[in-house]
Amino acid sequence: MSAVFPSLEWLQELEKKLNSDEKYAQIAKNWEGDMLCQLDADDRLDKQMLLYIDLWHGKCRAVAMWDEIGEKKPAFILKASYTNFLRVLQGDLDPMQAMLTRKLGVQGNMAVMMRNVPTVLDFVRCAREVTDEAL
Amino acid sequence: MQPILKINLSTQAFEDYQIPDEWQRDYLGAASLAARILYADLTADLDPLSPESPLLILTGPLTGTAGPAVGRFVVAGKSPATRLWAESNVGGFFGVELRKAGYDGIWLTGESASPSYLWLNDGKPELRAADHLMGQDTYEIQTSLQTETGSKSTKILSIGIAGENKVAFAGLFCDHGRAAGRTGLGAVMGSRNLKAIAVRGTGAIPLARPDEFKGLRSGANRTLKTDPMTSVLSDLGSAGAADYLDYLGEMPKKYFSAGALEGADKVSGSSVAETILVGKKACHACVIACGRVVNIGDGEKRKGPEYETLVGFGPNLGLTDAVFATRMGELCDRYGMDVISASGTLGLAYSLFEQGIISTKDTDGLSLNWGNAESAETLLHQMARREGFGALLADGALALGKHFGVAEQAVQVNGLELAYHDPRGASGMALVYATSPRGACHNQSDYFLADIGQVDESLGLEYFDRYAGAEKAANVALHQDWRTIGNALVLCHFANVPPETVLDLVNAACGLDLDLDGLMLAGERAWNLKRRINLNLGLVGADDHLPDPILQPLPDGGAEGYVIPFDEMLAAYYTARSWDENGVPLPEKLEELGLVDL
Repeated sequence: MSAVFPSLEWLQELEKKLNSDEKYAQIAKNWEGDMLCQLDADDRLDKQMLLYIDLWHGKCRAVAMWDEIGEKKPAFILKASYTNFLRVLQGDLDPMQAMLTRKLGVQGNMAVMMRNVPTVLDFVRCAREVTDEAL
Repeated sequence: MQPILKINLSTQAFEDYQIPDEWQRDYLGAASLAARILYADLTADLDPLSPESPLLILTGPLTGTAGPAVGRFVVAGKSPATRLWAESNVGGFFGVELRKAGYDGIWLTGESASPSYLWLNDGKPELRAADHLMGQDTYEIQTSLQTETGSKSTKILSIGIAGENKVAFAGLFCDHGRAAGRTGLGAVMGSRNLKAIAVRGTGAIPLARPDEFKGLRSGANRTLKTDPMTSVLSDLGSAGAADYLDYLGEMPKKYFSAGALEGADKVSGSSVAETILVGKKACHACVIACGRVVNIGDGEKRKGPEYETLVGFGPNLGLTDAVFATRMGELCDRYGMDVISASGTLGLAYSLFEQGIISTKDTDGLSLNWGNAESAETLLHQMARREGFGALLADGALALGKHFGVAEQAVQVNGLELAYHDPRGASGMALVYATSPRGACHNQSDYFLADIGQVDESLGLEYFDRYAGAEKAANVALHQDWRTIGNALVLCHFANVPPETVLDLVNAACGLDLDLDGLMLAGERAWNLKRRINLNLGLVGADDHLPDPILQPLPDGGAEGYVIPFDEMLAAYYTARSWDENGVPLPEKLEELGLVDL
């Protein structure tokens, strides 16, 4: 059985996927910046979850589940309801659309985010391919 | 409402025109109300450049209030470029000052015997000689008239040299590069021998229920600050989504003939932010501040390029230089020309040159190969001055195409050049361009954003795939109605304010008690009124078309191979609008909208 999203096991599977995917390595070769996905509670998630992913030049350097956002802020914080994150993961919602239309909030350098549209989309492809299992 | 200052330039007579209350209720303000006011005056045989042709500058009920993003006003009349309904709205501070001077608008008729400008000082109008101002650009005249009127607070709306020369895409400009650029109304003002309008006002902006409005606008501004589009526009300007639009194949290249161009990422808002950006600039009471301030290496702080400027003088011409686009944008602003039409007409010339339809024999020796920046700059000067080959371009793309027997190659609708949102990357724009009351316009509905998911469900809008066809026609009509309301208030389209909040603001500002359906009905009413005006001016259903190049598939890029199912979409649109097969509103629709007896 594959890992269930969202969980530490899922993050670890994602890390393996990102570090073994040649297409991602090529597309994301210039990406620099870690990110935190803040999954806000909704009718499908009891309490907020924080998923940390450190991405650097086409590789994933670290993943972790955070209890809270400490003093060291990641380069990007992506905020959305659990359902909207799931819609992105399942391909029902384009991540760039989500960012531009109130469905996915972004804290961080928007210039970097907009400049790296292919990287963002391929990261989501990799995440999508990790598992079909979700809470 | 405050009155409109009506001026006959021929007789130099001034009068106050009081807008009927029911017109404000039914049309709200600005573009919609202008259509109602001018309805009877706009006739098929009216020469737009004749003294009989009216030019109306009109604010909206939110103009000049404390927000959100409501510094805009509209200029309206009959277009010399399209010979149809003309409207063009613009931000900055002039509209605010006009209301503070005691008027909600200025209605110009007649023709001044000699060059003149209007000085409106706190409700007191005066026509003054402007011989010494002729030939000044729209930046220079700001300083000249602020000095002449004795106050740096004086706000100036003027034409540039292009307006004096009646270039078909001359606009009216204020605040160093804020442009009512589209539809050529600068040529109309130029034909009246009116160089500028200078306004100074110290009064209060009228509000029907000021206390209620105050609380609402605070909340609206707080909401707006947290909107993701606000972040993108504030951080990266109007070209903030350019990278994404390029990825989707929605950013035109080489005059709409290509979907991909190496280096196109250099003309995005991100690229500008990373290279030449040194500051931001906002219109009145705007928390977004999409205006860019850049330094292009000469130490000067100058207006930075918007999306349309970056693409029009960038990939549209096979160029990828944001600094060049900045310089060309400023040239257009100073001359008083619309950047979309100017660069679009240049694009057609480059395309004809590539095809061998024109050569250096036609262009006075200029090579118009893709990527030739020097020729583009030379031609911009010539267009504004109606000199050399540029004189042929000064009447726009359709006229240029006709001159060389290839009118079908001009990427325009009814004489207005397409904005740089290719419908092959966002199919809703096909209907928007084809049915817009002023020719191919992206400000009558920025549906490309709806095509990437920005739909407000409270309006009844749904999300359809960007390649969807007839099924999105009713949605496009609804979106047009919504944006028509924005153009009436005037609320900047960049301000992603929830519709319920807009409704509350309108009711508080105007003393109305509309519900959301009533507000949307005002939008639909105005859309149909402008349709009636255009039908009166000679528009027929066949004019709701797309130019041939847009009906061909792109050879590459993010929208490669897609063909717009235009005929099906238009038929569905007519049905959704309750228009007959010729695009004429059905009697029952006119009855419903109160448009039978005008």
